[in-house]
Amino acid sequence: MSRLRQRAAALGLALALLAGGLAFAPAAQALTGQEKEALYQRIIEDLRCPTCQGLSVRDSDAPLSRQIKDKVRRMVEEGQTEEAIKAFFVSRYGEWILRAPKNQGLGLVVWVLPGLGMVLVAGWLGLRFRRNRKHKPDEAAAPAEASAISPEQRERIARDRRRFEELD
Amino acid sequence: MLKSWQFWTVMGVIAGLTALFIFGFSVNPKVVKSPLVGKKAPAFSVRELNTGEPLSLASLKGTPFLLNFWGSWCPSCRDEAPILEAAHRKWGQDAERFRVIGIAFNDTPEAARAFAKRFGKTYYLALDDEQGTITLNWGLYGAPETFFVDHEGVIRHKKVGAITWEEVEENVTALLQAAEAR
Repeated sequence: MSRLRQRAAALGLALALLAGGLAFAPAAQALTGQEKEALYQRIIEDLRCPTCQGLSVRDSDAPLSRQIKDKVRRMVEEGQTEEAIKAFFVSRYGEWILRAPKNQGLGLVVWVLPGLGMVLVAGWLGLRFRRNRKHKPDEAAAPAEASAISPEQRERIARDRRRFEELD
Repeated sequence: MLKSWQFWTVMGVIAGLTALFIFGFSVNPKVVKSPLVGKKAPAFSVRELNTGEPLSLASLKGTPFLLNFWGSWCPSCRDEAPILEAAHRKWGQDAERFRVIGIAFNDTPEAARAFAKRFGKTYYLALDDEQGTITLNWGLYGAPETFFVDHEGVIRHKKVGAITWEEVEENVTALLQAAEAR
């Protein structure tokens, strides 16, 4: 078989294998009832109640929250993604409707800053500790240095001692 | 003893945090800017509370309007009811020039009609559906809330809470001037 025919045969075989693989590839899975319920619960937990803003939509019984729950349930049943559902509410209410800020744009600062701050502080403390250990005085010399008294100090000690002895 | 660059770094951080602190206290946490301001108004379609006359955003094309969301259960809505009625009588008599519209939500037709009668509301009133479709589409936090929409269907201002006459006058005047200037 000529080289050209060999290559054509190899290409045909590869394409046939690819087509066969695709034919048996599983179709995109629709969410099961349990998955839909989990998605619904997750979304209403992540949304803030517009009326009682300290609560999630899930925890609030305010009329608006009930309507938001209904809306989310319908959107989940329609097969909409979590991102699309949240984007719907963000477009109407703004970013604050999400209880956790997005991890992009200015919201990224909120996520990154605490950890970064801890790393910087730990790094600074580490450097200070190392520096202090380097400059720590020699322990053998310390007592000698501490006990070193100058001649003037010796004279003063002797003078004060004589005064106290005279008082006795 | 800190070195010069260390000292100024610390000072810079303290100054930055202080500025952030001051900014935070200068912002009213109750005032949340609506992302809809400056954007095209969401579509809606309703029927008048008493007559059943239909009204939609599309039918308002070219006419600036004030859209007030209210409820018979809402105490602040009672305070602003006379103001909205006065606005309708002053500017809303010519429906081609300006409209005052009220949409009640989380309410019943009977309670809404009783409220309208009690406060002498004569402008166009309607009721949102039980799912709160219009309420959610307009990003409501509660009642009352008032939107000012220009002749091109763009939301120019949103007020959360009972509206004052001064706010109505200022915003309606601006909308009418913009419409007349086209």
